[in-house]
Amino acid sequence: MSDFLLTQIINYGAPTLGAIVFIGAMGAPFPGTLIVIAAGAFARQGLLSWYTTGLVALVCVVLGDSLSYAMGHFIREPVLRRFQYAHKWKQAEATFNRWGGMSVFWTRFLITGIAVPVNLIAGTSGFGFRRFLVYDLVGEAIWVFGYGGLGYLFGTQWEMVSELLGNISGLALGLVILAMGVWLGRNWLRAVDARKAKAHEV
Amino acid sequence: MTPARQRALTIGLIVVGVLIVAFFGLRAFFAFREFRRHGPPPLAPLEAQQQQVETDVELIRDWMTIPFIARMYQVSPKLLFDAVGVSPRGNGEKSLAQLNEKYFPNQPGIVLEVVKAVIQANQPSPTVVPPATAVPPLTPVSPVAP
Repeated sequence: MSDFLLTQIINYGAPTLGAIVFIGAMGAPFPGTLIVIAAGAFARQGLLSWYTTGLVALVCVVLGDSLSYAMGHFIREPVLRRFQYAHKWKQAEATFNRWGGMSVFWTRFLITGIAVPVNLIAGTSGFGFRRFLVYDLVGEAIWVFGYGGLGYLFGTQWEMVSELLGNISGLALGLVILAMGVWLGRNWLRAVDARKAKAHEV
Repeated sequence: MTPARQRALTIGLIVVGVLIVAFFGLRAFFAFREFRRHGPPPLAPLEAQQQQVETDVELIRDWMTIPFIARMYQVSPKLLFDAVGVSPRGNGEKSLAQLNEKYFPNQPGIVLEVVKAVIQANQPSPTVVPPATAVPPLTPVSPVAP
C-alpha cells in the first residue's frame, strides 16, 4: 500500500498527498505519517514545493478530521436516545469535555492510531466544534510541518526517521492502553476495598 | 459493568498494554540507535540542495519511477529506459516494481538490479583534490633608498 501511494506522490505531487491525508483522516488505514515524512524528503529534492504541499496537506487533513467529527455529531441523536439517561454516558461525556482538547491535540501527531475514534467521540459527546478545530489545527500543523520538516532535514534518509517515529507512536499507544488498565485496576481495587469495609461494618 | 467483567477488562488492558510497550519499545530503541549513528546531512542553500547528486545506489527502491531516479542521481532517463529495454512512452509513471511485473514477470527484481548497476556505472568520477603546494613565507623587503 505505502509503495503504491509513494509512487503516486512522486507522479502527481501535492494533490495526491492531500487526497491521502484527507481519506486517512476519515478512517482509511493509510500510512499517513510515513507519507508526510516522505513528502518532506521529496520537497528537499525539489520535487515538491514545501509550502504549497504543507498547506494542501494541512487543509485536507483538517477537512477530513472535521468530516469524521461531523459523522460522530450525526450519530449523536441515536446514541443519546439509547444512553441519554445512563449515568455512565453522562460521566463519559463530562470526562471527554474535560480532557477532549488534549486528546484531540496528542492524537494528531503522537498517538495517531486512535485519531479517528477520538474525532468520532468528540462529535458524539457534544464537544464544541470550534474547540475541536483549534486543537485539531494546532496538532495537525505539528504533524504536517514537524514531521514533514524532519523528512526535509534528513532527505534521502527519511525512512530511518519514519521507522523511529512509527515505533514511538506505537509505544505511546501502548502506554495509553497500559495507563487505562492501571486506572481501571485502581478503581476496581478501591471498589473491592469499599465492599470489604462495608461487609466488615455489617 | 459486573466486577468479573471489570477485572477481565483491567487484566486484558494491562496485558495488551505491556505487550505493545515491550514490542514498540524494543523497536524504538533499535531505531533510535540507528538514528543516532546517522546525523542529518548538512543543509545547503535551496538551489545547491536540488543540485546535490545522490551517489548511494542502495537508496533506490522499487516504488520509485525511472524519471524520479534519473532526477535523484542526475542521469538521463533515456539511459535507464534503454538499459531496462522498455520504451519511455507510457512507462514514465510506472514504478520499477510495475515495470518488472509487466515486462519481466519471470525475473523478479531484475529491473531494480539493472537500474542500480547502470547508475553505479555512470557515477561521476570523484574530484581529485591536488596536494597543497608549499608556498615560501613572505619576507619583508627593505625599502630601497632613492
